[in-house]
Amino acid sequence: MAGDQNPRPTGGPDDVPTGAGQGWTALSYLIGGMLVWGFIGWLVDQWLDSGGIATGIGVVLGMAGGIILVVRRLGTPT
Amino acid sequence: MFGQANVLAAGQAAFPPSVEDFYLPSILPWGAHDSYWFTKITAMVWVAVGILIIFFLATYRKPQLVPTKKQWLAESIYGFVRNNIAVDMIGHRGVRFAPYFTTLFCFVLLTNFFAIVPLFQISPNSHIAFPAVLAVISYVMFNYVGIRHHGFVKYFKNSLIPPAPWYILPLLIPIEFFSTFLVRPFSLAVRLFANMFAGHMLLLVFTLGGFAMLSANAWLAPVSVLSWVMTIALTFLEFLVICLQAYVFTVLTASYVQGALADEH
Repeated sequence: MAGDQNPRPTGGPDDVPTGAGQGWTALSYLIGGMLVWGFIGWLVDQWLDSGGIATGIGVVLGMAGGIILVVRRLGTPT
Repeated sequence: MFGQANVLAAGQAAFPPSVEDFYLPSILPWGAHDSYWFTKITAMVWVAVGILIIFFLATYRKPQLVPTKKQWLAESIYGFVRNNIAVDMIGHRGVRFAPYFTTLFCFVLLTNFFAIVPLFQISPNSHIAFPAVLAVISYVMFNYVGIRHHGFVKYFKNSLIPPAPWYILPLLIPIEFFSTFLVRPFSLAVRLFANMFAGHMLLLVFTLGGFAMLSANAWLAPVSVLSWVMTIALTFLEFLVICLQAYVFTVLTASYVQGALADEH
């Protein structure tokens, strides 16, 4: 692989998706976070009969997780 | 086709268009209503495949150093996908995916474009089956490419474990799994399908709405003319959506391949 490396105009790191891809990734993290942990919370609600508290906690946790993921995966490329 | 025109002229078309309008009568057996083996949609997909194969074979049969007009067109499409999508998104490794991305881009663009070509006037992509198959191909491809590049364990470790302290990993891994392996194929397929479906539905509403108003009351004729003017305007909007969705589908596929090939963080 060392022989066929063309100089690339953008010297950016390889692992940061550009433009549209980055936007969709961020969106899917934020929505996905709420859905996944909201669903897990809902399951807990069904199990413990806690009337929606666990769903709420799950959604908030999922939002936090989504934000952490966006910052970690798409934030400042080190 | 002329039957449809007669129905429209007589004002007998059912006004609020429904999902039924997307299921066109069968061609072979001719006119059967519950046989979907060979319909106008099927025919259009084959026509699209045929056009693309013949176009690229014909334009590249005798490549010239100073390109002819057709060769220039084919080369600029390929060059656009190669440089502005494959290399831009993936880097120098993207060149080997350029042929697939070009095929994908041209196929989606052409089948989308059937939505506003007279006499075709519906896009095969307004049936979820076609975008779904394309999305499955992209999904299998980016996973296969990633597994081959990194090895099975390392690929899943890369894509599931984000760079974060260990104590929040249990919170993050399910989200990563959901957004990488479950949402991606689904959102690819639904985005293309919904855009083409909604576009066709809009055009139907404004066209049929014009006829419905005209046949309801002759005094509404100016409004139905307005409705048809809207149809023409929306056709231009459709053209924009057609190009944009073909581009987005290809760019997202490229972005997924890029993510699968990315080195660890």
